[in-house]
Amino acid sequence: MERGYWIKSKPIYQSLVWHNTATSHLVVAQGQGGMAVLKLFQQMHPKQPVTVLYEQQAESDVDYANTLNKVTNEDLLVLESTQEVVSVLKKIMPQKHMGLRIYVAGSEAFIWAVAEAVKECGVEDGDIMKELTGTLARTIYCVHCKAITHNIKTNVGKCSGCGRMLFVRDHFSRNLGAYMGLMVDAESPGELPEIEEIYP
Amino acid sequence: MSMIDVKVAAVEQVTPLVKHFTFVKADGSTLPPFSGGSHVVISMDIGGRVHRNPYSLMGSPLATDAYHISVRKQEHSRGGSVFMHEHVSVGMPMKITYPVNLFALAKKAHKHILIAGGIGITPFMSQIADLERLGADYELHYAFRSAEHGAFVAQLEKICGRRLHCYIDDQGKRLDLETLLASQPLGTHVYVCGPGSMVTAVLETARNLGWPERHIHNEQFLSPPVGEPFNIQLAKSNIEIEVPADMSMLEAIEAAGVEADYLCRGGVCGRCELDVLESDGAILHNDHFLTDTEKVSCKKIMPCVSRAKGKRLLIDL
Repeated sequence: MERGYWIKSKPIYQSLVWHNTATSHLVVAQGQGGMAVLKLFQQMHPKQPVTVLYEQQAESDVDYANTLNKVTNEDLLVLESTQEVVSVLKKIMPQKHMGLRIYVAGSEAFIWAVAEAVKECGVEDGDIMKELTGTLARTIYCVHCKAITHNIKTNVGKCSGCGRMLFVRDHFSRNLGAYMGLMVDAESPGELPEIEEIYP
Repeated sequence: MSMIDVKVAAVEQVTPLVKHFTFVKADGSTLPPFSGGSHVVISMDIGGRVHRNPYSLMGSPLATDAYHISVRKQEHSRGGSVFMHEHVSVGMPMKITYPVNLFALAKKAHKHILIAGGIGITPFMSQIADLERLGADYELHYAFRSAEHGAFVAQLEKICGRRLHCYIDDQGKRLDLETLLASQPLGTHVYVCGPGSMVTAVLETARNLGWPERHIHNEQFLSPPVGEPFNIQLAKSNIEIEVPADMSMLEAIEAAGVEADYLCRGGVCGRCELDVLESDGAILHNDHFLTDTEKVSCKKIMPCVSRAKGKRLLIDL
């Protein structure tokens, strides 16, 4: 099984911690990222205003939305899809000022969808604190046909565009929010390595 | 280090303390292009001793027929600026380094806030040329002592128009950093160049308001401070050198004929960093490059601005 190795483009995620200095805070989470938000609210609470956007997922066994509603006392907005989160962000971000700190918790696809949505307003991905939760599933970018395929859990995945079997690399594009996928049997067609679930 | 041979094409007194120098290539060809915020290091032969001072390039980076710098006369310095003011005249040959940029504009920024104090205006003179060309959103906040000390104000008014905000100290007009930095849209970057107290105030205000570190930029060249003489031993060259009170360690190493790397000579870039193998005293770190942990460990020294106390300082050079 493939183990991680050091590669500059591969994002390193952390546990959410409040920034000591800020003028306001924006927390954006999805599904099991609700736990990361609850942990954040267990830390000493900042004096500045906090806004929480939470995408509820049906398959989640814990009702984080309900618990979050009890602890936040603040501006909590529960949403049904990543699309909704993105459209709320696009509406509220242009009015925000420097000093707003942004925290994101969720799947990798969610984290980078949020990063993409706030990028238009000049927020760079390095300005955002990110916690990966729930799944290691990867989004892959096919270097042959340029299609993006979501939710790949195995070392080799099928391209949604051209159907090639792609080896999932650790090279990550912050611009696309995706890992590089390379045809695995280009040199010896049909010869595939053992396909294992390594990104559950 | 390879140098460019130039000659002085013009010298102009801009304010009572600031002179503007124009250099052209000695052989008449064009100079290398540069980017806004770049500087060059000028070599000066002062009584047989070589001084090298960094100065920001002004003017448009696209105009490579000449380089422009401005020098403020520092009365209580080791003589570099006094030499520039009193001994450099039109036609004189000089040597400068290739341009280096340690104060580049952030290309992803949606807005740029430039804050200058006094002679700290110089790096912004080339940056605003870039910003104007790119059609970028920016504001220039320029503070100086009194009207007669406001270098290049007329020129800036012409280039920047309403983007220029002047704060003239003796007219009681002060720059309110808190208000300025609290009301900037997301995606803004702030840049400061000026006296130490102003740089510190901008860095602290931006950090306290929650600006991410990558959105805060500063440039503050230090001149090597005068101190007590001390001795150093160079392990590879196998020599002992005395660093006189008014010379930097880097200058003493160069005067002894040993090649050492450098870029900015102002404690900023990190290029001249040397490993300390042994020391029996304190290292007086004056640079803005090493982290506090590195400074405490006494394993590294920036010879362009830092000094030492003690009998033994063995350097890996």
